[in-house]
Amino acid sequence: MIRCPSCGCEQSEKIVCEQCTGPLPVDLDLFAALGLERRLSLEPAELERIYHEISRRIHPDRFANSPQEVREASLKSTALVTRAYRTLRDPVSRGLYWLELHGTKLAEDNKQVPSELAALVFEVQEQLAELRDTEEPSSRQSLLETIAQSREAAQREMDQAREQLVANFAKWDQKSASQAELLAELKALLSRIAYLRTLLRDIDREIEPSVPR
Amino acid sequence: MSRIFGIDLGTTNSLIAVMEEGKPRIIPDPQTGALLLPSVVALGPNGTLAVGQRAVELEQEFSQSEASAGSDENKVVVIRSVKRYMGLGGDELAPEERRRYSFAELSGPVVKFRVGERVYTPPQISADILRALKSRAEAALGEKVERVVITVPAYFNDAQRQATKDAGRLAGLEVVRLLNEPTAASLAYGLGEMASGKVAVYDLGGGTFDISILSIKEGIFEVLATNGDTHLGGDDMDQALAEFITEGLPESLAHDRRFWPLIRAAAESCKRRLSAEMVSKVELELDGTRIERVVSREEFERRIKPLVDRTIERCSMALKDAGVAPGEIDAVVLVGGATRVPLVQRAVEELFGRKPLCSLDPDLVVAMGAAVQAGVLMGKRDDVLLLDVVPLSLGIEAMGGVMERLIHRNTTIPTSVKERFTTAVDNQTFVDIHVLQGERELARDCRSLARFKLGPIPPQPAGVPRIEVTFMIDANGILNVTARDERTGLEHSVEVKPSYGLTEEEIERMLEEAIDYGEQDIEERLRIVARTEAEQILNAFAKQLNEFPDLIEPEERSQAEAVAQKLRAALDEGADRETIKRLTDELNELTTPFAHRIMDRAIKQALEHKSVDEISS
Repeated sequence: MIRCPSCGCEQSEKIVCEQCTGPLPVDLDLFAALGLERRLSLEPAELERIYHEISRRIHPDRFANSPQEVREASLKSTALVTRAYRTLRDPVSRGLYWLELHGTKLAEDNKQVPSELAALVFEVQEQLAELRDTEEPSSRQSLLETIAQSREAAQREMDQAREQLVANFAKWDQKSASQAELLAELKALLSRIAYLRTLLRDIDREIEPSVPR
Repeated sequence: MSRIFGIDLGTTNSLIAVMEEGKPRIIPDPQTGALLLPSVVALGPNGTLAVGQRAVELEQEFSQSEASAGSDENKVVVIRSVKRYMGLGGDELAPEERRRYSFAELSGPVVKFRVGERVYTPPQISADILRALKSRAEAALGEKVERVVITVPAYFNDAQRQATKDAGRLAGLEVVRLLNEPTAASLAYGLGEMASGKVAVYDLGGGTFDISILSIKEGIFEVLATNGDTHLGGDDMDQALAEFITEGLPESLAHDRRFWPLIRAAAESCKRRLSAEMVSKVELELDGTRIERVVSREEFERRIKPLVDRTIERCSMALKDAGVAPGEIDAVVLVGGATRVPLVQRAVEELFGRKPLCSLDPDLVVAMGAAVQAGVLMGKRDDVLLLDVVPLSLGIEAMGGVMERLIHRNTTIPTSVKERFTTAVDNQTFVDIHVLQGERELARDCRSLARFKLGPIPPQPAGVPRIEVTFMIDANGILNVTARDERTGLEHSVEVKPSYGLTEEEIERMLEEAIDYGEQDIEERLRIVARTEAEQILNAFAKQLNEFPDLIEPEERSQAEAVAQKLRAALDEGADRETIKRLTDELNELTTPFAHRIMDRAIKQALEHKSVDEISS
């Protein structure tokens, strides 16, 4: 139970007060923060609608003239809702959060190259190493073109993996597989995506070395 | 509760606005009707002399005079573009910025302008501008101005935001919200012309550049990404043009602090003319040297192209972060005086492939948006809500000097993240956390924000204490840190040492000082400047007569003594500033040859004590 700082009523933990719709200083999981059931497949437009609707009610801009306690509740609950929206909006971060909710995560040493990517990764690393050792402009240029093609290939893999992730969400939500199996499958797919992300980042670092200050 | 006012605290000009009958209205100066208050502050040895137009006039009056060239004690210093110095440490000043003014303690966490024996920090000078706006609005409306929204560049970091808040506090204002300038502009436009869609706001002001990409939907203004450069604006175009104008001139003219106001003003007006004309002529006289330059728009554009290119690069980065292609933008808004430059307009149009909107005056639109947001905060507009972002990533220094990102740039604010800390050695009683802001991989390449000290922690084996630290970025984009002992659930005290900016004690002291000098009349203060100057020259003259009676001609001596006597009498009678100033100048002129002779002798004597080797080396 939690006490509402705006109207003083006692109620169960939610993001907004049932009585006065004011913000409650709660610590909820990210699905509960947005008033959602725990499901992997979420409709982006619907998620945005919910996020906007809650923000309209609890954002600190609405409580500039309220007592300190209410302003603090507004700040805390808005930060939570914002984090919930950001995390759940993106399928990959949603999947990672799902693992976290179920007491697991991607291994720290996510270094093992997934076998289906091994050939691509090997090729890219070799091309990047060659680029570092090449100074002659025209050879650099042709190398850069080759790397750009590899980048496209990696990006295609990434797009496919993400599509598969979203497709699997629906399947997993129907609980056709056991929880343990589901988590293993989800983990494998997310680890592949994480690997591709690192690969793409490595390519980008080599080909556009200027990082914003 | 009193009304909330909107303030645009600009690099070049500042404005104050308020909502009236559901519409934002800029409050003009009740005497002159001017909407813009030049962000210019004149300082003398005894405090602030003038703000705004009067300070601009004093800048011209004193630019080549003894008061700015002479000894430190009687200086009048006119400060422009103080916003560029907000939140900076002394060691972060660019070389051309160092040349502009005299600074104290260039190694400290805050820039300090030296004026005579006093020093002023940028928040104090900004506070003068805020006070001038406050009294303008109070005089015009006959009501107290106590609570305000102040706009800041979206790309301002934590220290720059904190410095702006400090300025508000020093001016006796409650800063209810810091609002990002491009977001403010989108509010001013959004209520009318753009009901929904994706909007790019390109804001090139006097000293800062911002690009923000927003999505507007049913009154929700959601910033998707922002980027910018807090040291890029119209000032830099003036600087580029000034370099062209002074090309080939000796260092003594081109880089002398006294001539900068003249060169800058000439460059600025030339830049303005070149927005309408293809060729413009600059005429200047520096210390008797006449300078004439013809500047074509083509030449001007060549000089500023690197600056404009930098803004376009930043636009591309913002679009990339927002995940929006240039062609998906439904409207482009131009904000800031520097967007009047044709090259800027062409570059923006080319990038986004559409004509930018500029139906609202680019100098006024930010203040109007600030007033709209003030209305929202007063609860007058519950159909409108801003969801802004933090412009720079925030993290902590991890093992090996690596920046560990906790909050990524372009995260919607308010936002928070929790991290668990523990001890590394047995019986450790404090844990230090170094918080950083920036996009680079290594801690040393990011900007240090603050050092937080957690503790005291009861002595325990290493790794046993569990302290949960919450990093919260509030709706102003400012970081707040709290800590909690996980086992006891009790709040832990956190000692904060900001890397840049003022400490609480310094602000308290400045608040006390501000009361001492705040209410003095400007004319009175100018008179004090003149009196101090007069007294100094009288003392110096008496001392020199005493020490070097052989170096002055009898004729010279009788003339100078007569003027000195008149000046002393004028001081005793409490004569007006003009009289004192005239006699001081006269005495100064009469005694200059005498002073030169004393100097020559001093140099000669100094040389006689040195060997030939030393002199030539």
